[in-house]
Amino acid sequence: MSCMMRKIFNHFLFSIGAMLLLNSCAEELNFNQIDDLNIVPEVEASLLYVESSERLINATIGNEVYTQKFGFGAFNEKFFAEKVISGSITYIVENTTSKNLDILVEFLDDADAVLDTEQFVLQPEPTAVLQREIAYGPSGRNIDIIRNTVTLKISAINLGDNTSESSVENPKVIVKSSGKFKLKVK
Amino acid sequence: MRIVQFVFVTILMACFSVCGQNKQLLYDFIEVPQALMVNPGMKTSYQWYAGVPLFSGISFQVGSSGISVGDVFANDGRDINDKIRDRVIHGLTPRDEISGTYQIELLSGGFRGRKRPNNFYSFGVYNEGDGIGYWPRDLVILGFEGNADYLGRRFNLSHIKARGEIVNVFHFGINRKLNNKLTVGARGKLYSSVLNFTTTNNKGYFVTTEGERNVFAHTLVADLEHKTSGLNGIKAILDDDTVAKRKALLDLMKKRFLFGGNLGVGVDLGFTYNLDKQIVITGSVLDLGFIYHNKDINSYSLKGEATIEGVEIILPDGIGDPDRDFWQNLVDDIEEVIPFENNKKSYLTFRPTKLNGSIRYNYGEQIKTKEVCECSYKTDDTNGYVYANSIGGQLYVINRPRGPQMALTAFYQRRFGNVLAVKTTYTVDKYSYTNIGFGGSLQLGKVNMYAMVDNLLAYRNLARTRYASFQLGINIISWGKK
Repeated sequence: MSCMMRKIFNHFLFSIGAMLLLNSCAEELNFNQIDDLNIVPEVEASLLYVESSERLINATIGNEVYTQKFGFGAFNEKFFAEKVISGSITYIVENTTSKNLDILVEFLDDADAVLDTEQFVLQPEPTAVLQREIAYGPSGRNIDIIRNTVTLKISAINLGDNTSESSVENPKVIVKSSGKFKLKVK
Repeated sequence: MRIVQFVFVTILMACFSVCGQNKQLLYDFIEVPQALMVNPGMKTSYQWYAGVPLFSGISFQVGSSGISVGDVFANDGRDINDKIRDRVIHGLTPRDEISGTYQIELLSGGFRGRKRPNNFYSFGVYNEGDGIGYWPRDLVILGFEGNADYLGRRFNLSHIKARGEIVNVFHFGINRKLNNKLTVGARGKLYSSVLNFTTTNNKGYFVTTEGERNVFAHTLVADLEHKTSGLNGIKAILDDDTVAKRKALLDLMKKRFLFGGNLGVGVDLGFTYNLDKQIVITGSVLDLGFIYHNKDINSYSLKGEATIEGVEIILPDGIGDPDRDFWQNLVDDIEEVIPFENNKKSYLTFRPTKLNGSIRYNYGEQIKTKEVCECSYKTDDTNGYVYANSIGGQLYVINRPRGPQMALTAFYQRRFGNVLAVKTTYTVDKYSYTNIGFGGSLQLGKVNMYAMVDNLLAYRNLARTRYASFQLGINIISWGKK
């Protein structure tokens, strides 16, 4: 582009820009507000479902029905562990067997150290469904329990006999659980 | 080299700003040669024109249909979390969009046929970037608020809809006056795509419901696909610390600009018809074409469906394997039924086709143009003279991922001799009901300069504008024989 042409074009651009700028205005903006933005989704999910039949309980020698560790890396997933700030775990325990049962849920870290426990003592049927919500975080137990849990250990002790049979069809003991957690994404 | 750098930087900036631009001010503005680009069947009076390289046609548009910067960042004392929740997360709909486009003419020219003076030939190269992203409302709600309070709500994955492209376009057009009433035109285009991304045909949902066994059941039905071309090469350079990044990127861009990218073909068609001496109708269809992507492809898909209720253990099956990782097994099972896959398959994209139409009523003083012709305003011949005033209406339609998008324009144009022509428009579209635009073309000898700005009322408060657009350029135009 020749020098003359460039000059003309520059004046042309300047005039348009100046005209628009001189006639325009904008309300006051504050982009620093973005620092105050909180993104804290609350997620809810089923965690663990364990079911044991009365037939299994009766077939067990002694009173320890089972003691089982379950590798459970959901809490230990990097994104979750770094962002979780509070939450709760809800247990729903149902016993339709003819036994008194003692069920213990333990939260273990990667060195198998017990971080937290939750015990359920269940009456034989007919019994109401037991529901319990345990809070973690500022208004509950330490949230680090959740962050560091890599294994869940569930033990069931039969406090009754090994012969009786429930009058309910297909008797069993069921432990349901779900978690509801807040994650501070920003 | 500086020019190449300028082009490259401009393109990169446009990438970050992220669809075809409605050029209602430029449309049928016969004093400006670039109006041929929006209607190849426009009436032309020039003998020849040459655009000043890189400066003959610069246009830019950015729009947001649902929100402005001021809606969120105004210093109004309101908590930003409330503003984002009310105006963004729950205020925008999946039909709201953020879109942007730019176009820079690298080379532009035209000439009248010596043996066929009714033919006017135009040619050139321009670079265009175009992107649109629709508001993925359900996914944003899921991301910001989670699923905890949304039992039974289906989060729709089809809300993910976006496309974008940077493309170099080589074109050649023929404009022919068939008779005193009808002028038609066609332009062939060769596209050399620099980069492309498209994710427009997604389907599926995520829902949390009451579980059959456990407390909740989570169902994911997904048919998602995200296709890209041209991005891998750029990413490889940016990630490679052993190469001079700027030079490597410029070399790659130069190659892709010059048919080294993914190629395609297209066509523009247009006409101008004088119903009588004063009433004119025009129409054009632009970018009726496609690009075949077969180089530097990197696409992803997520297809399948699964319902889970957490880790399920039915004793005694779970007893006996102390090392069994139930969580990892669950994750593996999900990945098996809903695989996330990467592929290099070729794909086809269609250009965002645009449709323009107008009706114009000319009146007032008749001005003799510089057109060389044997014509007189006293005859029915409509050439050689223009009316000082024109009013009319225009229609613009563009094909978008969520269907056609329309704009209606009313305009008034005034010519002051052969030196100055101005046009003002009022446009209604999904971005604004108060879009008033103004443009002018100044002819100083052979030098033609034009500038057009849209949505002028928005300049009262730039922070609240949802749409901004301009076009400008400089040309050399001759009506003489040489």
